[in-house]
Amino acid sequence: MAERKFERKTILDPAVADLLIGMEQRQTEAQMPRKERERISRERAKIQSRRDQRATYDLPPFIRESIRDLAEDLRLPASQLVTLALARFLSDYTNGVIELGKYKQPSRSPRYDWNLVFPESMYPKKKKS
Amino acid sequence: MIIFAFANQKGGVGKTTTAVTLADGLARLNHRTLLVDLDPQGHLALSFGLEKSPGLYRWVCLGESIDAVKVEIRPNLHLVPGDKQTEKVKRQITLADFRETILSDLIHETDYDVVLLDLAPSLDVLHLNGLIASDWVVIPTRPDALAVDGVKEILTTMAEIARSGHRYRGYSILPTFFDRTTRETFLQFQDLAKTFGEHVWPPIPQDTRVRETAAYGKTLWEYAPHSTSIEGYSDGHQRLGGYRQVLGRMLEVINGRA
Repeated sequence: MAERKFERKTILDPAVADLLIGMEQRQTEAQMPRKERERISRERAKIQSRRDQRATYDLPPFIRESIRDLAEDLRLPASQLVTLALARFLSDYTNGVIELGKYKQPSRSPRYDWNLVFPESMYPKKKKS
Repeated sequence: MIIFAFANQKGGVGKTTTAVTLADGLARLNHRTLLVDLDPQGHLALSFGLEKSPGLYRWVCLGESIDAVKVEIRPNLHLVPGDKQTEKVKRQITLADFRETILSDLIHETDYDVVLLDLAPSLDVLHLNGLIASDWVVIPTRPDALAVDGVKEILTTMAEIARSGHRYRGYSILPTFFDRTTRETFLQFQDLAKTFGEHVWPPIPQDTRVRETAAYGKTLWEYAPHSTSIEGYSDGHQRLGGYRQVLGRMLEVINGRA
């Protein structure tokens, strides 16, 4: 049986720990060849520039799958399809084309006043087994 | 009441700036706060744009009341200033009976929520009085070898005081003049974290605004409330280090959660 190694762990203030991790990464990068450092720097800048473009929402799985399938068919990035769909929705909502009132139901959550309850027809029909 | 001492036998590590900034921060959060200058340089008064004066000498040596010697500098924030007469305080304390607790006894006669003691970078009888009076010692240190050695010296002195019966609630090490881009800062910070673990508080970034603040006789909260030294480094959605975060750690000590 392999001998278990016990490592003593130092308890750190969470901010100190996060700062140390970041500094360790930078120190490791500093040892790398220049080209590698530049590549990591570019990647970091790319990630940071995208940070404002990212959002996380809960969606019904069929919407996610439909977007993924459509994006594959059209050979487009799914994010751009979603951007188009949401931009169209916002435009229609602003112009009064879409009325949310018919979907609204009171919410029991302390955080929200309303929920949107969608009609069955919006969902794909379940296949009979 | 809780008493904090800001101590490091090494000079120029940011003791006075830290004491001023945190005292004003606490006062702004409605804690009745007293700052006591135990350094004959009298820089606490200058930091608030006031003249040096022998407040500590009058309080300790002439027996005047705290109400007579304190200076109200901001709402909820009072100062017992010091000047070169503080040297006489040391001589008087040396000749007195029960000399180790003279300052502690005087402070406990007051009714402040928090008392902050700015200690001189020395190891004399007034320094010992400050350490004996305190419940929690904050040790500001530059991330360099000499200043870190000062941390060890203070902890040794605290251990000797504890052996004579004084009980500290705790201590914290506060890295100041922090420049996260240099290798030396990283190595010293790593060493501090490995040696002292959770006693190391988030660091105060190096910031020119701090020096400007002292020149204008303002506190950082007044002069540069959004500076790096107050807000810390930006790391994605969170901030790391800075006096605002350190103030939070201090409140945890005051509220008994540390």
